[in-house]
Amino acid sequence: MEEQNINPEQSMQIIQSMINRAQSNVSDNGFYFIFWGWLVFLCSVIFYITLKMEMQYGWLVWSLMPLGGIFTGIYSYYEHRKYNPDAQKKVKTYAEVYLGYLWIAFGISLCTILFMMGKLGESTYPLVINLYAIGTFVSGGILRFKPLIIGGAFSFAIAIVSFFTPFENQVLLVALSLLVSYIIPGHLLRNKFKNQ
Amino acid sequence: MKELDPLLHSQLRLGIISLLISVKEAEFTHLKGETNATAGNLSIQLQKLKEAGYIEIEKTFKDNYPQTTCKITKVGIKAFENYVKDLQQYIKPKK
Repeated sequence: MEEQNINPEQSMQIIQSMINRAQSNVSDNGFYFIFWGWLVFLCSVIFYITLKMEMQYGWLVWSLMPLGGIFTGIYSYYEHRKYNPDAQKKVKTYAEVYLGYLWIAFGISLCTILFMMGKLGESTYPLVINLYAIGTFVSGGILRFKPLIIGGAFSFAIAIVSFFTPFENQVLLVALSLLVSYIIPGHLLRNKFKNQ
Repeated sequence: MKELDPLLHSQLRLGIISLLISVKEAEFTHLKGETNATAGNLSIQLQKLKEAGYIEIEKTFKDNYPQTTCKITKVGIKAFENYVKDLQQYIKPKK
C-alpha cells in the first residue's frame, strides 16, 4: 500500500474496528459442553438406577469416561488438523489459551478428587459438582456467555446442597448439575455459534 | 507535540498491529481477510514490522500448505501503547 496519509481520527477508527473484529472472533461451538454434559448425565442416571436396584456392577458405567476422553481427544485432533481455507481457524485468541489452561486444571483436579475418593468418602460428589461449577463459570466469563455463568452459579449451589444429601441421591444432583451447567448452556452456545 | 511513530502511522500497518494486539497469534490468511489487503502488499508491510522488531513471523508447513503465523512482540506492544498515547495528544490537545 502506498503510504496513505491518515489523520489521528482515522487512526483511532482503525484501532477500534480491528480490536472489535478480533473480539467478535471469540466463539465456541459448544461441542465439549454438550458431549461431556450428556455423557456424564446419562452415566449418572444409569448409575443411580443401578444403585436403587442394588445391582452389583453399576459402577462399571463409569468406564465410559476414559472412552469419552479418547473420543474427544481424537475429535480435537481432527478439528485442529483440518485445513479449510474458508474456516476462521486461522487465529488463536487469548480466550482459547485461557480456556486450555482452565480445562487442564479441571482435568488434573478431577483426577485428584477421584483418586482420593477413598479418603474423601461422601464428599467426593459434592467436590466434583463444585469443580463442574468452576469449569462452566470461568468458561462463561472468558467467552462472555451468560448462560454458562448462570449454569455455573447453579452448580455452586447444588454442590452445597449435595454435602447434606445421602450418597445415593448425590448422583442425581450430579446429573442435575450437568443439565443446568453443561447441557442447557452448551446447546444455547451451539445455537449462538450456528447463528453467527 | 510528539510525532507519531511513522511505522505505525500507516493504515495497513496500524491495522495489522491492532489486530495482533488482541489475539495470541494470527495466520497470514487471517490478516489478509481482516485487513482486505493484497497478499503482496501485506507481505511488504509485515516485513517492515518484523524488521523493526514489532512482530515475529514464523513460517511452517501444515498438511503441505505453507503457513505464516504472525505474533506481536513486547517491543511491538510498547510501540503500540506509545502510539496510542501520542495519538491522544492530537485528539484532545492539552491546553
